[in-house]
Amino acid sequence: MLELDNISASYGKVAVLQGISLTVPEHQLVTLIGSNGAGKTTTLRAISGMLRPQSGQILLAGEDISTLPSHLIARRGLAHSPEGRRIFPNLSVKDNLIMGAFLRLTGKRSRGDVAGDIERVFTLFPRLKERHKQLAGTLSGGEQQMLAMGRALMLNPRVLLLDEPSMGLAPKLVEEVFATIHRLKAEKITMLLVEQFAAAALEVADYGYVLENGKIALSGTAAKLRKDSAVQAAYLGGGS
Amino acid sequence: MSILFQLIFSGISVGMIYGVIAFGYQLTFATSKTLNFGQGEALALGALVGLTAINFIFGTIWGTYIGVGWSYLLMIPLVLVFGFLQGTVVERLGVRQAITIKSEAGWIMSTIALGIIFKNLAENIWGRDGLKFPSPLPEAAMTVNLGFAEFRVQPMELAIIFGALAIMLAVEFFNRKTVFGKAVIATANDREAAGLMGINTTRVISFSYALSSLTAAFAGVLVAPITLTGATMGVVLGLKAFAVAIIGGLSSGMGVVVGGLILGITETLTGYYISSGYRDVPGLILLLLVLAIKPSGLFGRATIKKL
Repeated sequence: MLELDNISASYGKVAVLQGISLTVPEHQLVTLIGSNGAGKTTTLRAISGMLRPQSGQILLAGEDISTLPSHLIARRGLAHSPEGRRIFPNLSVKDNLIMGAFLRLTGKRSRGDVAGDIERVFTLFPRLKERHKQLAGTLSGGEQQMLAMGRALMLNPRVLLLDEPSMGLAPKLVEEVFATIHRLKAEKITMLLVEQFAAAALEVADYGYVLENGKIALSGTAAKLRKDSAVQAAYLGGGS
Repeated sequence: MSILFQLIFSGISVGMIYGVIAFGYQLTFATSKTLNFGQGEALALGALVGLTAINFIFGTIWGTYIGVGWSYLLMIPLVLVFGFLQGTVVERLGVRQAITIKSEAGWIMSTIALGIIFKNLAENIWGRDGLKFPSPLPEAAMTVNLGFAEFRVQPMELAIIFGALAIMLAVEFFNRKTVFGKAVIATANDREAAGLMGINTTRVISFSYALSSLTAAFAGVLVAPITLTGATMGVVLGLKAFAVAIIGGLSSGMGVVVGGLILGITETLTGYYISSGYRDVPGLILLLLVLAIKPSGLFGRATIKKL
């Protein structure tokens, strides 16, 4: 469904990605793990058009999207819950979700049942329902994270990118976020998950890639990576 | 007492004009962090196009039947369309490139340059003299009696107040209630994230410039009947409205209305009680005070950002 072929990207003169290739098959959950600064967020930004890659191809359902601006990539069915949540603080919680469905409401993607999907997000995150009239800027960090995920889901995406959905959350909320990811996986949503909690990410994922200094160092089924001694030592707090 | 009310009323009507123009500055600043420094020229062009349109409509065979009042109302949609298009041109020629290359100041010079070009264009088409704009309402002042005070108002001044409020409320309503309006707020909050939603933010910014010039052109035909219409009519108005936008805060719709009223009323009061030579001074002192004490404006707020 989503395929990166030898993608390179840089910020100014600093090369961040040096030839990344990875594949996210339909209905699968693929995770990208790696230490801070390895290029995980940059990879997602390159996919969703927030950063133009210098070379390489990004295929979404077989079509090259690597030179398109974000809004046209979204139109082809890619949703991105970005690092730092990036919700719209001056819009209400519900209006944030409506913005997630912008393309469906304006006829650029098939409309479906927008009101029903808002209810579905409220079922996933009951806290958002209680606060649906509140300005999103007044939400707590955890609630904003839920909103960012819910907003991305509102596109009815073919592929969903999740960037560090657990970042900065209390342990109990991290559990809740992963429970949600499990549920989305059960719904067969195609996802690419970037996570700092490598153990939890490999627990839920089908397949994993390990990113080191802008290159794929290792890849394999999540089960295999969980047992890999190098991965355990570096990312799973293991070795003992 | 009566004279005081008289002055305050005139101040309110002038202030609402400042407020509407400042509101236009705000629209583009919200989405793109840039402003059209040719806003005063957009106002003058709107008024001049309006003048030509109203004379044309009134000059037709229908004119004698519908009168100046209806001619004025028929002219307004034309002026709004003109303002909308003029704003699009400003964005496309003067601003888009500067935003794309993240230029800090390129747009300042290019919008000023476009303003000068528009002014010269207007001078060549309509001449350099101030022209008389036909008043859609009776020009004779009405007497308003509040019991404790009696003062005279020009009907057109009342129309300015209501017209200014109406256009600002219409834009606010659009922003808050429609999907496209919400997309404007989303773009203002976080342009990159709005792009992820599938919103074409380049087009949103172009649209905000169009709306900004539309409000300025509308302000032009509101103020034209009580002043002289000409290519330079917008220069001072545009500058004062900029002061209002700074006083009220570039992020607050309420701020520009209050800022406009403060400036309008202090001007008329100073002009009468102190000297008309000093009428601009208190407002500018206020501007300096605001910049020194609360640089984000009286009603401006720093954006809420939670990490």
